[in-house]
Amino acid sequence: MTNPYVPLLFLLALGAGFAVLSVGTSLVVGPKRYNRAKLEAYECGIQPSPHAAGGGRVPIKYYLTAMLFIIFDIESVFLYPFAVAFNQLGLFALVEMVLFVLTVFVAYAYVWRRGGLEWD
Amino acid sequence: MPAVTVSFASALPAAFQATQVDYKAIAPMLVVFGGALLGVLVEAFAPRRLRYLVQVGVAVVALVVAFVVLVTVSVHDQGITLARAVVIDGPALFLQGTLLAITLLSVLTMAERFGGEGPDAFTPMGASVPGSPQEAAALRAGLATSEVFPLTLFSLGGMMLFPAAGDLLTMFIALEVLSLPLYLLCGLARRRRLLSQEAALKYFLLGAFSSAFFLFGAALLYGYSGSVYLSDIAKAVTTASGDLDGLLLPGVVLVLVGLLFKVAAVPFHSWTPDVYQGAPTPVTGFMAAATKIAAFGAILRLVYVGLEANRWDWRGGVIVVAALTMVVGSVLSVTQTDIKRLLAYSSIAHAGFVLVAVLAFDRLGVAGVLFYLVAYSFTTIAAFAIVSMVRQGGSEASHLSQWAGLGRNHPVVAFVFAFLLLAFAGIPLTSGFTAKFAAFAPALAHGGTYGVWLVVIGVLCSVITAFVYFRLIVLMYFTKPVEGVVAEQVSPLTTVAITVGTLATLVLGVVPAQVLELAKSSSLFLR
Amino acid sequence: MSNATFALEALTGIPQHLAALAPATTDNPKADFSDTPWWLSLVKALLIFVYLLLSTLLVIWFERRVIGRMQQRPGPNRTGPFGLLQTLADGMKLMLKEDITPAAADRVVYSLAPLIAATMAFVSFAIIPIGPDVWMFGHHTPLQLTDLPVAVLLVLAVAGIGVYGIVLAGWSSGSTYPLVGGLRSSAQVISYEIAMGLALVAVFLYSGSMSTSQIVAAQSSLWYILPAFFSFVVYVITMVGETNRLPFDLAEGEGELTGGFHTEYSSMRFAMFYLAEYINMFTVSALATTMFLGGWQAPPGIAAINSGMFNHGWWGILWFTIKLWIFMWFFVWLRGSLPRVRYDQFMRLGWKFLIPVTLAWVVAVAFIRGAQLGYLGDSTVGLVGREFPVATLVIVGVIAALALGATWVWEGKQADKVARESAPPPERIDPYAGGYPVPPMPGQELVEPSPAISGSPTPVALKEDTRG
Repeated sequence: MTNPYVPLLFLLALGAGFAVLSVGTSLVVGPKRYNRAKLEAYECGIQPSPHAAGGGRVPIKYYLTAMLFIIFDIESVFLYPFAVAFNQLGLFALVEMVLFVLTVFVAYAYVWRRGGLEWD
Repeated sequence: MPAVTVSFASALPAAFQATQVDYKAIAPMLVVFGGALLGVLVEAFAPRRLRYLVQVGVAVVALVVAFVVLVTVSVHDQGITLARAVVIDGPALFLQGTLLAITLLSVLTMAERFGGEGPDAFTPMGASVPGSPQEAAALRAGLATSEVFPLTLFSLGGMMLFPAAGDLLTMFIALEVLSLPLYLLCGLARRRRLLSQEAALKYFLLGAFSSAFFLFGAALLYGYSGSVYLSDIAKAVTTASGDLDGLLLPGVVLVLVGLLFKVAAVPFHSWTPDVYQGAPTPVTGFMAAATKIAAFGAILRLVYVGLEANRWDWRGGVIVVAALTMVVGSVLSVTQTDIKRLLAYSSIAHAGFVLVAVLAFDRLGVAGVLFYLVAYSFTTIAAFAIVSMVRQGGSEASHLSQWAGLGRNHPVVAFVFAFLLLAFAGIPLTSGFTAKFAAFAPALAHGGTYGVWLVVIGVLCSVITAFVYFRLIVLMYFTKPVEGVVAEQVSPLTTVAITVGTLATLVLGVVPAQVLELAKSSSLFLR
Repeated sequence: MSNATFALEALTGIPQHLAALAPATTDNPKADFSDTPWWLSLVKALLIFVYLLLSTLLVIWFERRVIGRMQQRPGPNRTGPFGLLQTLADGMKLMLKEDITPAAADRVVYSLAPLIAATMAFVSFAIIPIGPDVWMFGHHTPLQLTDLPVAVLLVLAVAGIGVYGIVLAGWSSGSTYPLVGGLRSSAQVISYEIAMGLALVAVFLYSGSMSTSQIVAAQSSLWYILPAFFSFVVYVITMVGETNRLPFDLAEGEGELTGGFHTEYSSMRFAMFYLAEYINMFTVSALATTMFLGGWQAPPGIAAINSGMFNHGWWGILWFTIKLWIFMWFFVWLRGSLPRVRYDQFMRLGWKFLIPVTLAWVVAVAFIRGAQLGYLGDSTVGLVGREFPVATLVIVGVIAALALGATWVWEGKQADKVARESAPPPERIDPYAGGYPVPPMPGQELVEPSPAISGSPTPVALKEDTRG
C-alpha cells in the first residue's frame, strides 16, 4: 500500500454505501400513504414562522460563537506542530510558545471582559 | 524508533530547524505590537474613567519608545531575518521611522476631545446620536471609544512590516494586518454616521477585492518561480527557462493591482474620495499619510527587489497608470465642493507624482520617493487636523462654502492652512517643492523619454492643483465670512500635531539637505 | 547549562545544545504497512465496518439494559437471549416505516444530511490501532487500517465534517425545532472542540507525534493517563459534549426542542442519525483509549506475564475492546445519573473554564516536558535514595503552588458568594426603591411612602413618576 490515504477511501465508501443502501431500501420497502397533515412541520398545526429553510434569522450569538471558534481553534491548531516537534526544538520553542499563549490569553481576556462569552 | 517504512519516507518533512531571529532589527515592530496588546488589556481591565488617559499614554509611549529603539538600536543592526521573511534595510528603516513619527502625530489628533469625555471624533455605538441619552448609556455600558488607539497601533504594526516584507506571503499578511483595523476605524465616526459606515463597507469590500488580486498574483508568481521570496523571484526572472513565462506577467500585474489600490492610483482610486470623506477626520489623516507611506514602501521593494529584471514588460502599464493618476486626481479636484473630497483627490494626484519617481529605476528615484513620502505625510496630517477643527454647529464644516472668510475670523488657522495648501501645490520654500524636485529629477535623469513625458504631465498637473488650492485660499481671505463657522479651541495635543506638521513642512522646504541626504543614504535595498 | 546560556538562547533564538540533545525520534507512523496489499486493506476496512455495526447493535441494547437496572426495571429482555436482538428488531421496524419528507423541507439537502452524518461517522476509525502486527492471509500487517503523520488531526477534521450532517439536517427541515436544535448542536460541538484539541496537545508533547501507532508505542512503559491526567479529564468532558450525549444533549432536549435537529426525520434516515451518534461515541472512546489508556496494550500487570505474551498478536483486540467498553459504560452511567444542564451553563463551562484552564495546563506540561528533556538545566538532587532533576522539581512545585493559590482564591470567592446569598434579607424595604413596586419577603416590613401632608413635595412627585 503506497498511499496511506487510500484505505480511508475504502472505509468512506463502505460507510456511504451502507447509508445509501439502507435509506434506499426503506424507501422501496416502506409504505407510502399520502396525507397532507403528515407533510406539515412538526408543530401544533401552525406553519412555523419565519420559514426555517432558506430564510429567517437566527440569533447573532451563533455567529459570534462560530467566529470565536475559528479564531481560537486556529490558535490551538498552531500548537500542534509545536507540540510534535518540541523534543527537537529546544528552549527557544518553549519561550516562543509561552509568548504565543500569552498573546492568545490577551485576546481571550478581551473577549471575556467585553461580554463576548456571555450566553443570554 | 527508526521503524519508518520506505513507502512513507518519501513524504516526510526534513528535521525541524529553528530560524534565526534578529530581535534588535525587528524591535521597533515588537514594541508597537506589544503596545497594541497592552492597549487591548487596558481596554479589557482598566476602569472606564481611566481608559482614555491610559490608552493615549500607552500609545504615545509605545510610539516614542519604538522610535527611539529604531534610531538607536535597529539602524546598527540591519539585515535579513526571520527566515528571510523580514528585511530590515535602509528603505525599510527610513519608512518605519517616518511611520512612527506620523502615527504619533495622528494619535495626538485622534485623542482630541474638545472638552468631552472621550475622543470627539469617534462614536461608542453606531446607532446613537452625538450627545444623546443613548450615547451616554452606551458609554456607561463600557462601550468606550478608546479602542481606536490599540487599533491604530495594530494597523501601524502592519504598516511597518509592509515595506520590510521579504516575501509575498509576509507582504500579504502585513497588508491584511494594516487594513483590517483601518476598515473598522473608518466606520467609527461620531457624526454623519451613515456616510462613515458606508465608507467602511466600501473600503472593506474593495479592499477585500484588492487583497484577492494580490493573493492571486502572488500565487501566479509562486507558480512561475517556485518561491514566494522576492529575491528568488528576481533570480527566476533572469534565469528561467521560459516555459512558464505565461504566468509571470499576469502575476506581476495582479500583485501590482493589489498594491496600487492601497496607494489609490487611477483606475483603482474610486474608493478614496468616499472613504476619506466618510471616515473620522483624524483617521482620514492617518490613512492618507501612513497607508501611502507603507504601500509605496511595499511597491518599492516589490519592484526594485523582485521585478526589476523584467521591468520592460510591465513598465508601460504603470507609466499609463501614473499619468492617469496625476491627470484624473488633479482635474477632478477642480470640481470638488467638499474639503475632504478635495484633499482626497489631491492625495490621488500626489500618488501619481510619487509613481513618477518609482519609475525612475534608480537609487535616486528611491531616495526621491522616500523624501516625497516624508514631506507629503507631515503636511497631510496637519491639514486634516485643521479640517477637524473648523466647525459649524458642532460638526465639521466640510463644505467649501463654509470655509469662506475663515481668514478674517481666524487668521492664524487660515494662515497655517493656506501654507499647507501651498505645500500641496509645490510652491518653493515649502516641502512640496523640494519633494517634487526630488521626485522628478531622477525621472528626468534616468527615465528616458517616458520619464520626460511623465515629468511634463506632472508639472502641468501641479499647475492645475495649484489653481484649486489658490481658489481655496482666495475663498478663505477675500470673501464674506459665513455665520457660525468657527475654528474650535483645540487641546495642546492637536496643537502639537499641527505645529510639528507645519514646521516640518517649512523646514523640509527651506533646509531639506539633511533629510535628503538621509533618504539618499538609506535608499539601498538588501536582497 | 547555566542560566546565562538560557537567556542567550531565548534572546538569540539559537538553541545551542540542540544537536547534542535532540533525540532521534520521528513523528511518523510506527505501524508498518509495507506488507499490506490493497485487497488486505479492503478486508480490514470491511472488518472494522462490521465491528462497528455489531458494536452499535450491542451498545444500544447494553445502554437500555444498564439504564433499566439503574432505574429498578429489567430493560428489554424479550427479543432473543437476554433481549440481545432488540436493536436489530428496532432497526428492521424502522426500515418498514414510512419515510416522510416534510413539504417545507429543502429536499436535496434534507436527503443528503443523514448520509453525511452516517458516512463520516465510520471514517475516523480507520486510524485507530486495534492491535499489534498479526499474520493475516499470509501477510504481516498491523491491526489498523491506516496511519498518517497527522492521524489525530484527521479525527478532528472528520468530526468537523460530521457537524455538517447536523447543521444541514436542522436547516433543511423547514421547521423551527430542528433549526434551533441544529444550531445549538453545532455551536456546542465547535465550542468543545477547542478544549478537546487543546487537551490533546499535552499528549503530543509527550509522544512527539500525531500518528496513533506512534502514540500507542510511546505508551509502552507509562500510559498517558498519568502524566496527562488533567488532559484526560478535559477530554472525557469534551467527548461527552462533542457527541451530544447526556448531560450535554441540549441539541435534542425533549422538553424544549422535541427531538432537536432530527425532529422531522423518520424511518431509515432517522436511523442514520441514531447510528452516527453511537458510532461517534465509539470513535471518541477509541481515541481516548489510544491517547490515554495505552491503546491495545495489555494492562500493566498482565503485560508482564510470560515476557509480554499478552501484548502480541490478536490479544490486542481484547484489551482494546475492554477499554473501549469501559468508556461506553461511562457514557451510559452518565446518562443514568445526571440531569441535563442548561445551555448557558454548558457554554460557560466550555468557554470560561475548560478553554483557559486547558491552555494553562498545556503550558504547564510544556514546562514539565522541557525540564525532562533537559532544556532547563541538567542538575539533579538526591532525595529518598533517588535522583530527581532539579528543574522538574521546581516546575512541579511552581505548578502546585499556582494551582493551590488559584483554588484558594476561588474558594474565597465561593465563600463570599455563599455568604452574600445566604445573608438574611433586610428587615425593612422600600417597595419603590428600584423604581417599580416590589412585594416584601416574608418577615419584611414595608416602609410606607411618606404621606403627602408631611411637607416636602418630593416623595409625592416621585410616586407619581413611578406609577405613571
